[in-house]
Amino acid sequence: MKIRLIPHCLAATLMATALATSVPNLAKAEDVTLTVWTHEADEDAKVAFRELAARNLEKAHPGVTVKITWYEKNPLLAALKTALPAGQGPDVLYVEPDWTEYVDAGYLEPLDDLVNWNNIEPWARQVWVHNGKTYGVPQEAYTNEIYYNKDLLKKLGVELPANAQFTQEQFLDLVKKAKAAGITPIAQGVGDRPFPGAYILGEALLRKLGKEDYRKLWTGQLSFEDPRVVDVFKWVKELVDAGAYPKNFMTLKLGESHYYFYTKPGALMLPMGSWYTGRAFVPVEKGGQPPDFPLGIMQFPAMDGGACNQCKTSAIGASFAINAASKHKKIAAEFLDAMSTPEMGKRWIETIYLQTGIKADVKQFSGPHAAYFTELMERQKGADYFIGGPRDLTQGQCKDSFAQVMNSAFPGGLLSVDEAVKMMNTACYKG
Amino acid sequence: MLQGVGAAGRGDRPGGGSGLAARAKLFASFRGGGREVDARRAAPATLALFLAPALLLYGGFTVYPVLRTFYNSLHTIKPHNVEEFVGLANFAALLHADPVFWKAVGNTVIFTAVATVADVLGGLLLALALFSRAPLAPLLRVVWFTPVLMSYVVVGIIWVWIYDYDWGLANMILRWLHLGAFEQSWLGDPHTALWSVMATHIWKWLGFNMIIFLAALYALPSEVLGAAELDNCGWLAKLVYIIIPMLRPTILNLTVLSFIGKMMIFDLVWIMTGGGPLWSTETVSTYVYKRAFDWNTFDLGYPSAIAVLWFAIILAFVVVMTRLLRQRDRIEF
Repeated sequence: MKIRLIPHCLAATLMATALATSVPNLAKAEDVTLTVWTHEADEDAKVAFRELAARNLEKAHPGVTVKITWYEKNPLLAALKTALPAGQGPDVLYVEPDWTEYVDAGYLEPLDDLVNWNNIEPWARQVWVHNGKTYGVPQEAYTNEIYYNKDLLKKLGVELPANAQFTQEQFLDLVKKAKAAGITPIAQGVGDRPFPGAYILGEALLRKLGKEDYRKLWTGQLSFEDPRVVDVFKWVKELVDAGAYPKNFMTLKLGESHYYFYTKPGALMLPMGSWYTGRAFVPVEKGGQPPDFPLGIMQFPAMDGGACNQCKTSAIGASFAINAASKHKKIAAEFLDAMSTPEMGKRWIETIYLQTGIKADVKQFSGPHAAYFTELMERQKGADYFIGGPRDLTQGQCKDSFAQVMNSAFPGGLLSVDEAVKMMNTACYKG
Repeated sequence: MLQGVGAAGRGDRPGGGSGLAARAKLFASFRGGGREVDARRAAPATLALFLAPALLLYGGFTVYPVLRTFYNSLHTIKPHNVEEFVGLANFAALLHADPVFWKAVGNTVIFTAVATVADVLGGLLLALALFSRAPLAPLLRVVWFTPVLMSYVVVGIIWVWIYDYDWGLANMILRWLHLGAFEQSWLGDPHTALWSVMATHIWKWLGFNMIIFLAALYALPSEVLGAAELDNCGWLAKLVYIIIPMLRPTILNLTVLSFIGKMMIFDLVWIMTGGGPLWSTETVSTYVYKRAFDWNTFDLGYPSAIAVLWFAIILAFVVVMTRLLRQRDRIEF
């Protein structure tokens, strides 16, 4: 008898539970929970920045709760790639400009009429324009720079040219001098990232080819067997053979390469996006740069016969978009606006020490790293920017080969020039 | 209820008469409200109710994904649930135009073959060492088994540090032994990367095989081993002609389990090398993940085709191995 009663009891319990849970829902029908999925859980300053924007929005809109879920990049990608096709996912999501598949698939809502674009730099917005519509609000901007240790450069008896840019020959000599002095010339590692090993090679290609041909190279319209490209590969091979990179280049992780550069064992240079500061400008006990570290910034070297030696890569990193399936698009757009006010832009620079796509008056910048920011701005004078990097422009096999060949194996000394050029050409060239 | 258990317990005592019957009764029935109810005679609705949660979970999280993967492998999956039937095109592309896939297959086969043999043989040797009461055996048992309890993430991070060229323990030991010429970027060189990951994997799983073998060794009939000793059988002969033949089912079970696990190796490789350098540690599983999530596409058709093909290969091997085992013993896994 009792067994027969079990289904009825369970059903009654389930009904009671359903009723119990539905009552508060009815009571708060007007409440909205805005869900946000974002990367950069390990960068305290960025966490604080976005949480502040969330709290500001909640204050401005009673009844709205912003729930931010923090991810590392790969788990975020995996979550988005399964949630969005299922019609699920957050209202607001972290995106980067090379994640074009989300735009192509129609999972992102066009933001042209939703967001206040007066607060966003037009060049930064342009990165997110596809077929005449804007799909992301750029938050983080950066340029590629070579950070160096001023004391070590002085110790080697080398003076930085007035324009902060060595020639390719001078740069090679510098690498050889550092190596001879027992100093690691370039503290770079590719243990956990698919791009840092290609900083020198990529920027050299940009200067040698100029913006137009550089874009053609990454979009499959220019062969890697072009003599100018081969020349650049040969020069980088000379750097590699001269011992430019550390022996643990292949396994050194991004965070470790920072520590290697400014703390132990120390290195002369660290090519990096200007988001270098996210890891360096934190307390020493959290792995940050020592307060008295003699940090300098130099330009990537000028190439012999370079078509654009004043060129440099500028790119947009962290950006935010709205899920096309979101039921709260308006409030989601307000959250994007809350992160993009001039005050928040200033806060971004003052707490994260990084450029931004948000309009902010950097002349008002002050703080413990004001000198650094002044030097960074100095290095931007006369620069002709190429917006976006190789990973923004490549897909599939070409992107994978970029990671395996140009980022890792070639600077790691595992491939000859011919092998590297052939592998890249096979993967990327559509001619 | 307690009374019921007590009654069954008394019936199950040695010499207690109907011990088996009492045990069967214990498991097949329960006492409710003073009246015994046999679950095997429950109404179909009741059975369905109790089975439904497990069946739903199994169907939703095992059967459906498997069937869906087969389905996807014959389609190109486009955004917004648009599916284009492509027949065997994904498989054709995979077999004829994807060198990375074949590289991944080669790496996985080498990994599986070598690591399976090393795992099983190594586990057996360690178990024999403990079985023969080697000095410090209790301590060694703990030390050898500890890696099994550690997560792959922890193991991977530790071993990446051990293999580091500059400050890693492996090169430090070589330098200390004045063997600096053999220093390597263990995970950075395509010639050593796969073997280095494999060594880590074996280090982690050796203890598991050891414990299983140890249990099997202690379960061996002592009278057979005693008779061998009375016959002045040497330790090697005893091992080769008595112990190993009697351990055969355990060896074969562990071999099959190890084989299946290694054919699907993903986590350790992903943490330690991500498949690099130059795809030298790419395995089929890491390649499936890359094609599914790293290639700027939402098409799960192609990665599903890889998964289906690999599933078929693993299944074929398991069937062959199972049939071989059935010659004499039943496999238990």
